[in-house]
Amino acid sequence: MLTSLLLVVLVAGLAVFVHRRGFAGYAPAPAGLAVLHRGEAAFVQAVAEVLFPAGGAMALSGADAQLAQSVDRHLAALPEAKRFQIRLLFHFVEHVTLFLPEHEPGGRQRFSSLSAAARVSLLERLANHPRSVVRLLFTALRSVFVLAYLGHPENLHALDLAPFEIDPVVSDAEVLFPRVGALPGSIPHGPADRTEPVRTPLDPSGPRHPAYARAGRQERGEA
Amino acid sequence: MSPLATEQLEGARERVRVFAQYDHAFEEKCDVVVVGSGPSGSVAAYELAAAGHDVILLEEGPPFTTRDFALDGNLSMTRTMREGGLRMTRGTTMPTMQAVALGGGSLVNSAICVRPPDSVFERWSSRYDLDRTDRANLDPHYDAIAEFLGIEPTPDAVQGKRNLLFREGCDALGIDSEPIARNVRNCRGSGECFTGCRNRAKQSMDVSYVPAVLAAGARVLTSVQVQEIRRSGRRVTGVSGQVVAPFSHGRASGRSHAFRIEAKAVVLAAGCTATPVLLQHSDDLANASGQVGRNLQFHPGVAVAGVFPEAIDSLFGATQGYQSLSFLDEGFKLETLWAPSPLLAIRFPGIGADLQARFAELPQIAIFDAIASANRSLGRVRKRFRSLEPVLEWRLHPDDVQILRRSLHVIAQIFFAAGARKILPGVGGIADVIHSVEDAAILDSSAVKPSGLVMGGNHVFCTTRMHGDPTRGVVDEDGRAHDLENLYIADTGIFPQCPSVNPMFTGMALARRQAQVLSERL
Ligand SMILES: Cc1cc2nc3c(=O)[nH]c(=O)nc-3n(C[C@H](O)[C@H](O)[C@H](O)COP(=O)(O)OP(=O)(O)OC[C@H]3O[C@@H](n4cnc5c(N)ncnc54)[C@H](O)[C@@H]3O)c2cc1C
Ligand code: SF4
Repeated sequence: MLTSLLLVVLVAGLAVFVHRRGFAGYAPAPAGLAVLHRGEAAFVQAVAEVLFPAGGAMALSGADAQLAQSVDRHLAALPEAKRFQIRLLFHFVEHVTLFLPEHEPGGRQRFSSLSAAARVSLLERLANHPRSVVRLLFTALRSVFVLAYLGHPENLHALDLAPFEIDPVVSDAEVLFPRVGALPGSIPHGPADRTEPVRTPLDPSGPRHPAYARAGRQERGEA
Repeated sequence: MSPLATEQLEGARERVRVFAQYDHAFEEKCDVVVVGSGPSGSVAAYELAAAGHDVILLEEGPPFTTRDFALDGNLSMTRTMREGGLRMTRGTTMPTMQAVALGGGSLVNSAICVRPPDSVFERWSSRYDLDRTDRANLDPHYDAIAEFLGIEPTPDAVQGKRNLLFREGCDALGIDSEPIARNVRNCRGSGECFTGCRNRAKQSMDVSYVPAVLAAGARVLTSVQVQEIRRSGRRVTGVSGQVVAPFSHGRASGRSHAFRIEAKAVVLAAGCTATPVLLQHSDDLANASGQVGRNLQFHPGVAVAGVFPEAIDSLFGATQGYQSLSFLDEGFKLETLWAPSPLLAIRFPGIGADLQARFAELPQIAIFDAIASANRSLGRVRKRFRSLEPVLEWRLHPDDVQILRRSLHVIAQIFFAAGARKILPGVGGIADVIHSVEDAAILDSSAVKPSGLVMGGNHVFCTTRMHGDPTRGVVDEDGRAHDLENLYIADTGIFPQCPSVNPMFTGMALARRQAQVLSERL
């Protein structure tokens, strides 16, 4: 009887501990996220801060690049099974330190509550883990972040890697097919609207896609 | 293929169906139904329609106009690729991409068109009991397709520095290299073949063969997923399936109206990973040999980034403009490579400021890759319960690891000969950065472990292989299933082995040949 009672108290205590340290007290998520909930958004921000710190060689830091929004967009567009796997990975890394804590005071907390140094240390442990499956999981996690971060228009603009400005050609395909999801009646082009393909090579330093150029202007504080 | 005449285009428009038009279940009849509008299926459909047969071409993906292309590589993959571009093999883990779009892989691929050397066909013929599959027999088909698609070597004007540096490196080492022949007209060197050619220079099937299929009188139904091939005795009678919403990735809520197509013959060109699953879901059709889904082979690729002392305008240049076929006998082919830079950068090592410093070097970076004829590395495609997504099991054979090590080393030598300051080999377990050609020798050593290789496998073959012996292959030399009178398979799954070079052109040549045979038999 006493043993059972003790067991119940122990399990309840553990549950409270896991709930407090693992799931309670997250700040509200940024508005407009379709997939990520507040804990996942906090995790994304916590990883972004240490993976792409301020003061590095890039235009934007991870903290400023609003990765919760771009990761959310990516996840929303993925098939359910893949989305589930990536979220599972997020939760694994977010909570692994509750059970395998970082060796420092306050190291037994969820990832997003750890100090920046402890977060870096954990990511490095995963990156250099002797088991290839753990390294693979780390690579998968990092890939999600690299795609979102480097794909940010300001970063691409600053590296001069934003896509070229190209006036899309109207070929037979543009006359035959509507945009994805639309009815044929919405096709804006008739046979006479077809344009000749442009034959000249692009100028390597030529204009870049307006959306990315805009990001650059914002970065410089221009209208 | 020049643009269609106005009246052809008007008629052609009437024969396309897109997702928004389906409002009820339907049935159709035709002479031949072709499943899959990738390079192989589109060529087969065109040959049959041009010969006067009533053809229906079915495609699960939607057509993409230039305004549908996402410039963000990540978003683009979620729309154009199966499993959102995150498909992986099991066993040896390797990413592999298959497109789901009108035009199949041609919409997103680099348009490389290479004919395999004689030695490939000699091996195929002697080991797989084939007697007409050689260059002499296939060259007229390659020639006709080359003319239709304007396949030409990539001109220097659009190579850009990152491709020409490969040539320089090869020249310095005395290695033969050449501009890559591609199905491209008027390339502008935007390097964005992977997300769709906004200049419509790339002659992907949706701008080339599919319009021609329509002009020849065929019907093209997009956003329809074939789920079963119907049979009666030794004959197939047609196919059935459901309409699927674009980008719904197999979600049940994305499936709607049922359809059925009755046909005198069925051509399966759903791709090497999809065709076997369709057969397995159709009561294990065409599988008396037990070979359906077996013998899965990839052309695993490895890539190295070379950092040059100065910016090399890496954004500009044909996506893949230069190659070397000098090492085919050793089992690998070398190429230049480009993709949206975030996708290239996921392989860069490091965390934090180190990683950011590598990103900042992107404008100085070129990427060269090798694809290996991993003929000993085999796997299989299996169906899943109530899903058409395949399970891909595949293992890299230790003997093929050696090919990859050697290829990494040769790439490193080319980079240093071209003036690279350092390379990022992208191999786990060895140095992240190599600064000299001497240090690069490690790449051709046992220090490179199979688990450290970061590979990609977008060329897939052999899962419904062609074999003269009905007990050892799924189709005969004409692409006809050994077990059935009127079921043909026309995709890269029929290759008996890896073709040593990029597969699309050979898939199209074989499809053209078998469509002509089928046309005679109808
Ligand atoms: C990023 C990338 C780059 C590449 N670059 C090159 C290159 O430069 N040169 C080269 O030679 N090769 C390249 N490849 C490989 C090449 O694209 C493929 O080998 C080629 O597309 C295979 O053609 P296919 O017709 O056999 O199959 P696919 O192109 O895969 O076409 C099959 C079609 O069938 C459809 N389908 C599947 N299942 C169903 C169903 N149940 N119902 C209806 N439709 C269905 C699919 O949606 C698809 O459109 C590349 C591949 C990728 C992914
Ligand atoms: S490099 Fe650019 S212009 Fe040339 S074919 Fe590819 S996408 Fe089109």
